[in-house]
Amino acid sequence: MIYQDPKIAAIAETLKARLPELEVKAEILKAVELRALFDAIPLLPTDQRAAYGKELNQLRGELQRSVAEYESQADALPGIDVTAPFDCNVPLDGHPAMLPSEYGSKHPLMAELEYVLDIFYRMGFTAVESREIDDDYHMFSALNFPEGHPARDDYDTFMTVETDKNGRQYIAPAHTSTMQNRVLRKYKPDLENGKPIAVVIPGRVFRNEDLDARHEHTFYQLEGVYVGKGIHAGNLIATLKTFLQEYYQKELDVKTQPFYFPFTEPSFEFALSCPFCDKRGCNICSYSGWIELLGCGMIHPNVLRAAGIDPEVFTGFAWGGGIERLVMMKYGIEDIRHFESAKLDFLRQFS
Amino acid sequence: MKASLRWMQWYAKDSAALQAPIDEMANKIGAQLGAIEGIENLGEKYQGIIIAKIVSLVDHPDADRLHVVMIDDGGVAQQVERDADRHIQVVCGAQNLYVGMLVPWLPPGAVVPESIGKEPFVLEARELRGVKSNGMLASARELALGSDHSGIVEIDADAKPGDDFAKIYELDDYIIDIENKMFTHRPDLFGQLGVAREISGIYRQAFKSPEWYQLRPQFPQPTAEKLPCEVRNELPELVPRFTALVMGNITVKPSPLWMQTHLLRVGVRPISNIVDLTNYYMLLTGQPLHAYDYDKVKALSGETPTLIVRYPHQGEKIVLLNGKTIEPRPEAIMIATDKQAIGIGGVMGGAETEVDDNTKNIILECATFDMYSVRRTSMTHGLFTDAVTRFNKGQSPLQNLAVLAKVAEDVSRFADGKAAGTVYDDNEIGDRQWVHPPVPVTTSFVNERLGLTLNADKMKQLLEAVEFDVTVNGEVLTVTAPFWRTDIEQREDVVEEIGRLYGFDHLPLVLPLRVIAPTRKDSLLELKRTIRAQLAKSGANEVLTYSFVHGNLLDKVGQDKSHAFQISNAISPDLQYYRLSLTPSLLEKVHANIKAGYDKFVFFEMGRVHYKGEVDAAEPEVPNEDDHLSLVIAAADKTARTQAGAPYYAAKKYLLRLLPDADAYLAPLKGFDFKDDEWGRQLCMPYDPNRSAVIVWNDLTWGIVGEFKSSVVKALKLPVHTAGFEVGLEMLRHAPHKTYRPLPRFPKVDQDICFKVSAEMPYRTLHDFVAQKIAALQPEQSMVSLSPVDIYQRSDDQMHKQITLRVSIANYERTLTDEEVAKLLDEVAAAAKGTLHAERV
Repeated sequence: MIYQDPKIAAIAETLKARLPELEVKAEILKAVELRALFDAIPLLPTDQRAAYGKELNQLRGELQRSVAEYESQADALPGIDVTAPFDCNVPLDGHPAMLPSEYGSKHPLMAELEYVLDIFYRMGFTAVESREIDDDYHMFSALNFPEGHPARDDYDTFMTVETDKNGRQYIAPAHTSTMQNRVLRKYKPDLENGKPIAVVIPGRVFRNEDLDARHEHTFYQLEGVYVGKGIHAGNLIATLKTFLQEYYQKELDVKTQPFYFPFTEPSFEFALSCPFCDKRGCNICSYSGWIELLGCGMIHPNVLRAAGIDPEVFTGFAWGGGIERLVMMKYGIEDIRHFESAKLDFLRQFS
Repeated sequence: MKASLRWMQWYAKDSAALQAPIDEMANKIGAQLGAIEGIENLGEKYQGIIIAKIVSLVDHPDADRLHVVMIDDGGVAQQVERDADRHIQVVCGAQNLYVGMLVPWLPPGAVVPESIGKEPFVLEARELRGVKSNGMLASARELALGSDHSGIVEIDADAKPGDDFAKIYELDDYIIDIENKMFTHRPDLFGQLGVAREISGIYRQAFKSPEWYQLRPQFPQPTAEKLPCEVRNELPELVPRFTALVMGNITVKPSPLWMQTHLLRVGVRPISNIVDLTNYYMLLTGQPLHAYDYDKVKALSGETPTLIVRYPHQGEKIVLLNGKTIEPRPEAIMIATDKQAIGIGGVMGGAETEVDDNTKNIILECATFDMYSVRRTSMTHGLFTDAVTRFNKGQSPLQNLAVLAKVAEDVSRFADGKAAGTVYDDNEIGDRQWVHPPVPVTTSFVNERLGLTLNADKMKQLLEAVEFDVTVNGEVLTVTAPFWRTDIEQREDVVEEIGRLYGFDHLPLVLPLRVIAPTRKDSLLELKRTIRAQLAKSGANEVLTYSFVHGNLLDKVGQDKSHAFQISNAISPDLQYYRLSLTPSLLEKVHANIKAGYDKFVFFEMGRVHYKGEVDAAEPEVPNEDDHLSLVIAAADKTARTQAGAPYYAAKKYLLRLLPDADAYLAPLKGFDFKDDEWGRQLCMPYDPNRSAVIVWNDLTWGIVGEFKSSVVKALKLPVHTAGFEVGLEMLRHAPHKTYRPLPRFPKVDQDICFKVSAEMPYRTLHDFVAQKIAALQPEQSMVSLSPVDIYQRSDDQMHKQITLRVSIANYERTLTDEEVAKLLDEVAAAAKGTLHAERV
C-alpha cells in the first residue's frame, strides 16, 4: 500500500521492516511510532483530519493483516496435495462422500420463487434478477420521484459512502422497481415488433429499519412489468387475480384500494380473499377475510417516457410484492428473521 | 389523516353520502379513496352523559373541600335516587360551581371517558364521607377533552337539563383514520372539507364547498385603529404566496367547547381562541396558518413592525415554540423582523412572538411554502408538525385568501378582533382559476386506459360532483380542476380521477392477449435453479445471509475493508459494508449450528458480491455485481475424528460436480501469482495457502477451494474439520454437457497399476501422464477410463508415496486379453520411470 502522507509513509516503512524481527508480532500494533501518529490527529487542521485519519486506519489495518498472516503461518497445518482426489493413507471407505440427500434443502424463499416464476413463465413473462447496488437515477429519478419529493421518505434506503459520477451516493435498492427503466429499455424493440413487454423481476431489496419478528432489513420482492397497446387497469387486476388463483389453486376474490406511488397512476394496493379460510376469518388474515399482498398500478407516462416509450401509443402496468409473506403464510412461519439466520433447525424442515 | 364524520356532515348537509351507514362508507372509502387504518366510535365513549343544571350547592358537612350539589337532569336518568323535587344529589370537589350552571353529569352506570381504553371506571351511587353521591360531575380531563382538571366543564352550548351531552356537542361521532400515504399527492385531503367532498364524489353525489371557500373573498373593512406592518418576501421562488392581515382589539380566552372538541377529536390540543382558530381552519382546509403577537413583533422590529421572508443569517439561532433553540439550515425559509428571526416558515413559529393570554393585537399569516424546502428543513432538524405534514404535500397557493378571510371573520366572532389594516398579498393571481391549466382529454383516451365505455356526459357528471369544471365538445372533455387541486396536470391524472370516482372495482377483468411464441427463461435464474437442485440432492442446505457485513468480520478473515462499498447510514452496526465474498458470511454461521448439535453439515449460498472500483460492463455508471456460489462443509470436533483425511477433499468433491472440468484446473494457493487481480487476492484471504487451491479457467481466477487459516478458525470458532469453496457463477454457466459414449459389446479389462513417486509430486502430474500415455498406446477403437484407487505413504518412508490407479479398458471391435493390457501398462510404467522417476511397485 502506498501512503500519501509522508509521515505515515515513513513510519509504515519502519514498522514493516521491524515486523519480521519481532518475537510477538502483535506488539507492532502497540509501537510508539504508531501511537504518535494517532496522537497527532487533534493537532491537525480540521480539513486534513479526515484524510489523514483514513490513511492511518489503513496502515493499522495493513499491520493487523500482516500480524494475522504471521500468526496463521506459525500454527499452520502441513501442506496437502490439492490435485489429489483424496487424502493420503485414507481407507477406501473413508474417501470423501457427499451427505445423504435427505439432509439437503433448497431455501424455502428460493423454492417459492421457483414456483412463482414457473407460473409467470407459463403466463408468458420472462424474468431477470434485480440489482443490489444501484444509483439514484434508477431507484428514484427514472421512476418519476422528483428531487426531494416526500415519497422518497417512504423508502428507508441504505446509502453508500461511495458516490456515482454525479456525486450521488449509491443506494441499496428498496424496491425491485429500480429495474423498471432497464427492463423497459431492453425490451422496447419487442414493442415495435408488435409484442408486449412482459417481465417479472425477482430480487433482494433493503430497508434501513430495526429488525423484529415481522420486519427485516433484507427481503425479497417480485416485480412485474407489462406494456403493450391498449393495456388497461382491468388487465392489471385480471392478470394478478389469474396468477394468484393459479398459485393457490383455487378461485379467489380480489379487491383494490387506491394508493399513491409516484411511478404508477392510478396506483393500488391489491388484496385477495383469504385463501386459507375462504373469507370466513382466520388468524392468517387477522379475521378480516382479506390479505393485502402487493402494490400495483398503471405505469406513469413519465416512467414510460424515461425509457423512450411513447405513452400515447403504449400503456402498461406494474406491480411489486414480497416473497417472505407468501412463504410465511404458507407454512405458518412465525418470525421473518429465520430466513436469513442460516439455522439448520429451520432449514432442514424444508428438506 | 383523521376525519370526523360529524364535522364533515356540516359541510355536506344536503348530501346523502355522508349519512350512509359507517360500515358501508368505510368499505367505499377503502375501495375508492384510500386504506383505512382505523375507525374510532366516539359515541360509545360519551354514551350516557347527561347535561344537568345545578339547583343548589352546599358545603359537605364532613369535608372541607367537597360540596353537596343538587342537580336537575330533566328527569331523564333511570333508576336513580331523587328527592321530593325529583332532583339528584351529587358530591363534587370542584371550586367553579354555581347555582344555575349547566354541567356534564355522569350518572351511575356511566363509564368515565378518560378511563376507556385503560381500565374502564364505571360509576355508581356511593357515599363520600357519609353523603350519597349519585355518579359524578366531570372535568375536561375526565371527559378526555383536554388536560384541565381544575374545575367542572361548563356547558356553553344552547342546551337544557336532560339533553344528551354527546348529541349537543356532536360527540356521537366516528373518527375515520385514512392512511396518509395515499394522500401524498392530494394536499386537499389533509382537510375535513376535502375528505367530505371526496366521499360525496365516490357516492356520485354533487358536493358544494361553503360560500367562503372561494378564490376572491371579501375581507372585513379595517375598523380598529390602523396598526402598520411592513411585509417583504425576499424568497418568491420558495414562497410563491405570502398573505397577512393585522387584527386589533383581540380578547384571548378559551375557544367555545364545540371548537375544542373538534380539535381534540382529530388529535389537536386546544390552546386559546386565536391558536385554535388557526388550527381549526388548517384541519378543515389543509391550509396551515400562523398568528403572531403584533406587539411582540413590534418590540423586536426597528421603526415599523416588519415581517420579512428570508434565508437565515450566518450563525443565526432561533427559539421555537417547542422551547428548543436551533440554528436553522442555511436554506431554511425564515420569517423575521428587520432585526431578528421569529419563525421558520411552514415548519414552526418562534417562542418570542407567541400569542399568549395578554395578546391584544395579532398578525395572521397565511402563506404557501415550497414543499421540498419545508421537507428538508423538517428532516434536518427533526421538526414534524401538522403544518409540515400539509406543506410538504404542496398546498395550493390559490386558497390562501379564502382561508385568511374566514379566519379573520371568526377572530371577530370569537375574539372580538377587528381588522387593523388591509390584507397583504404579494401574489396577484389575476383571472387564474386553477393551479394547472385545463386538460383536454378524449373519452377514448380515458376508456382505453380503464377498459370502460363511459360516455362524455357520464365522465362530466363524475368530475363535477367534486367541483371540477368540465366542458364537453363531442368526444373531447376539457377538464379544469378546482383551485385547491394541485394534482391534475395531465390526461392520466384525469383518467385516475374518473376511474376512482367510477370505482376501480367495476373495471372489466380481462387478461391481455399475446402470441403463443414461447418466452425465454432467464439463464442465470435457470443456472441457479440447476445448482440449487444438484446441491440440495447432495445433502447440502441452501442458506441466505445478509448482503451487508460488519467490518469486524472482514477483519477477522483478513479482507481489506477499503475495497468494500461502505454503508453510510445503517441503523444497525452489523451492516457496515457490502461483502467482498460470500465465504465469510457462511463461516460466521457455522459455530451456532455446531452448538445447536449438528455434527456434520454443508451450507451453500448463491449471492452477489461487490468490489469497489469495478463498473458494470454494460452499464458503466453503476458498480459491477458478480454472482457467486459459496459452499462450506463442517463437522463438529467429535465427529471430525471419524472423518478420514483433510476436509479439503470433501469440499473439492462438491466442487468437481459443478466445474467445467475439461478446462478448469486447481492451482495451489501457496505461491499463486494473482498479478494485478486484487479481487482474487481478497477472495482467497480466508483460505489457508498450504491447503487450498485457486480455481483457474481460461487464465482467469474464478474461485478458491480449501481449508481456512488458523486465525480465521480461531476468530470464528470454527471446528477443525471445516472447508469450503467459492466460485463465480459465470464460469459454471459453461459446465459442459454430459457426453455419452456407446457401450462396447466386448468385455472390459480392469487392471491396477501402482507407482512409488516422490512425496512432493502432485497426484495430477502422475495421473495426467498415465492418461496421456495410455491414450497414445491403447489399441484403436478402445474405450479407456482411469480412476484413483489409493494414495499411500509408509510411515517409514516420508520421502515417497504410492499411488494406485485403476485402468478400465474395453474395445469396440474385439475382446482384449489380460496380457495385452498388462503389456500396455508395462510400457506406461517404463515411460513413467523415465520421465517422472516413478517406480512401479
